[in-house]
Amino acid sequence: MSEKKPLRKAAQFVNASPTRLRNQKRRGAKIIGYFCSLTPVEIIDAANLIPFRIAGDPTETISEADTHLEAIMCPYVRSCFDIALKGRYEFLDGLVVPHSCDSIERIYNIWRHQLKPDYSHFITVPHVVFDSSYEFFSDELRVFKESLEEYTGNSITDEMLHRAIVQRNKQRQLLRELYQLRKYDLPLISGTEVMPILWAGTRMPAQEFTEALRPIIDEAKARKHIGSRSNARLMLVGSEVDDISIIKTIEESGASIVMDDTCVGSRNFWHDVATDISPLKALAKHYLGDVYCPRTYKGGTAEDRFRYLVDYASDFSCQGVILDIIQYCDTYELDVPSMRDYLEKNGLKVLVIDDAYSARYVGQLKTRVEAFIELINQGVQ
Amino acid sequence: MSADKTTATKSTEAARKVRGLVKKAYMRSQEAKDKGNPVAYCMTVCLYDEILLAMDIAPIWTENYAALCAVKRAADSYLKKADAEGFSPLICSYARVGIGFDVLRHELGTMPPDAPDKGMPWPDMLLGCGAVCDPRYKWYEILAKYMNVPIFVHDVMAPPVDADIDKVRGYYIGYQVDQLTRLVEFLERQTGRNLDYNKLNHIIDIAEETRRIWWQSYEFRRAKPCPMPVEDHFNIFVPAIFMIGTEETLNFYKELYEELKYRAENKIGVVPNERYRLLWGGGLPPWHSMDLLNYFEEKGAVFVAEATYKIPDPVVIPSNITHPLERIATLAYERAVYRHKKAQARSGSPEVEFLLEQIERFDIDGMVMHASKSCRATTIGERHFKNLVQEQVKIPTMIFEGDIVDMQFYSEAQTKDRIDAFLEMLKPRM
Repeated sequence: MSEKKPLRKAAQFVNASPTRLRNQKRRGAKIIGYFCSLTPVEIIDAANLIPFRIAGDPTETISEADTHLEAIMCPYVRSCFDIALKGRYEFLDGLVVPHSCDSIERIYNIWRHQLKPDYSHFITVPHVVFDSSYEFFSDELRVFKESLEEYTGNSITDEMLHRAIVQRNKQRQLLRELYQLRKYDLPLISGTEVMPILWAGTRMPAQEFTEALRPIIDEAKARKHIGSRSNARLMLVGSEVDDISIIKTIEESGASIVMDDTCVGSRNFWHDVATDISPLKALAKHYLGDVYCPRTYKGGTAEDRFRYLVDYASDFSCQGVILDIIQYCDTYELDVPSMRDYLEKNGLKVLVIDDAYSARYVGQLKTRVEAFIELINQGVQ
Repeated sequence: MSADKTTATKSTEAARKVRGLVKKAYMRSQEAKDKGNPVAYCMTVCLYDEILLAMDIAPIWTENYAALCAVKRAADSYLKKADAEGFSPLICSYARVGIGFDVLRHELGTMPPDAPDKGMPWPDMLLGCGAVCDPRYKWYEILAKYMNVPIFVHDVMAPPVDADIDKVRGYYIGYQVDQLTRLVEFLERQTGRNLDYNKLNHIIDIAEETRRIWWQSYEFRRAKPCPMPVEDHFNIFVPAIFMIGTEETLNFYKELYEELKYRAENKIGVVPNERYRLLWGGGLPPWHSMDLLNYFEEKGAVFVAEATYKIPDPVVIPSNITHPLERIATLAYERAVYRHKKAQARSGSPEVEFLLEQIERFDIDGMVMHASKSCRATTIGERHFKNLVQEQVKIPTMIFEGDIVDMQFYSEAQTKDRIDAFLEMLKPRM
């Protein structure tokens, strides 16, 4: 067993994950790549397959994908496909794509055609949340489950789904506990440390990750504090903000990211999946109703739609919010003016950054973040 | 022809009539507003066209209005207004125009001056839907900041290409009927009127007959020389997409049928010497510079078919489906999956199957696509479709870049250079 401390070990999970997964594949495991927070990973768990959330690589210049994808598409999705074409996801046995947005929807057929995974499935996700929308989504999840049964040759019972939900809920509860350590005046864990832990959770078997979390939390709890009292307390909001160098740049500029609402962050674990109704209905309710994404229309005023962000900011004592908007993300970009105005009306400073999903842009980011932190600190004085 | 003319010169009488119909449609919605009748902001392909007509709700097609502003070169002030509000210039230009228009009206407290066709009347409701792309429901959602108007958003669902379409048919159509039922309940609440289902069935009959005749009339475009080009299509689709279900629209397509029949039989082509037959393979047109399409014709190249604003496929549904909402939902489902099985057996893409059909049926020499900077829905996939077509048929293809509305993303000189180079690759017919 490694002598490394759990937090340090977690930081290495992400880089080591393809190697770990290849080893697991040699032992007979099958790995299913998936996009987006709207994929119900519990169904993949219950099929005894390993779900692997597909990420891009902002440090890699997009080249191979240009033959197949237009430049006006979400750069994160283009990056994912580019590195897949370059062979970095050769260990994936399958692909699951939910209809979350135009770019992700369009990548499904293109990926299937070029990379020919053994298994692939597209999940149609309603855009609205009527009772019937949950019923429709539940039917879609049943068809998804049946496709996995056909792929593996094994049936997936309600009991197996229930166990997978319970396991993931344990993980969610532990991640929420981890986030509580960010509430302290001097947080016990930084955003830079949290990111690789979150990522590890998207590419490890559920039980293994759940077991790894407890020692990480204990180690962080045993600390006195990290960071400085003068650090500005920020919340990061956006979609697939999975580039750790962004978090690092912000935190090295004199801030602590103490809360997030991103596709790789809290929205994956802030709510549990219900265990007192049928598993597919519970998953439909959770992934359509509880997992926030601007692509789902729920109606209401800015107060109805964005109040939860102000609540987060209040719970975690945030002074400012960074809206990290990945270019060509229509759903977020259309929400930005209303979201920014609402947050500002509620006393929060807001910085909107236009994220090209490229390491080249991180240098420019530093200058803007420093100016933003200065603005916040002036407000404090 | 004026030196400033940027609209396309049309070949058919039918296409020339459309501008008058559009003016009349905006006038009708303004009159409806003046008389206190309900008007609604609407999006295309939301499956409610016949329902709105049956309930005498005047539709204002906001995407169409954005395109109209682009054609009239009157979009700039609205684009700038949206930008000033903090909307990214990368979002859908239609949405930027529409939002900019309503922000400006909100600030002025009155209709923006010089609004084309006297502007869009203040809506009594906003009707978005999840079909085609994300901005089509987000647009209305964010308008709530500028106008306190009831909004209804519903789903329009189609299964993915690899779905077992017989297995999922039941719950897809069931959900679609449910969505339309909820829409009708909303409309009845807002207007205080009850939907007359017999009237709706009659309107669906007219609409289906209209689509059938439209489809048949375009068969004459297989003739050589072709009697009608794509720039005419980009007008002729307008009554079918924005005014479907009326006798007036049905008659428009009957007249189109006769006109194209006459032109085909008498060998009246778009150009005197048809050297190349082209397919408009995808992308919305550059509304601000439609004269570009005439440039192809100056070189003897005619767009004889297109994949944009394509005619609904001629599907037949079981005669025991008589409830109008079920008819609408079933027709939509069968049209959505029309080429799924064919695609599963060959290219993997229904869009590509359509292109291959057109290439064969219309004897196509080359394909052109428009990559619009701000329209992900119609642009993403063009390169993939082009590659897939090439796997089946070697056909020269050009993708040119621009935008549906915003001229900052378009260069006329560069585009014409590319057209020249592209046409040189084609083998002339004569």
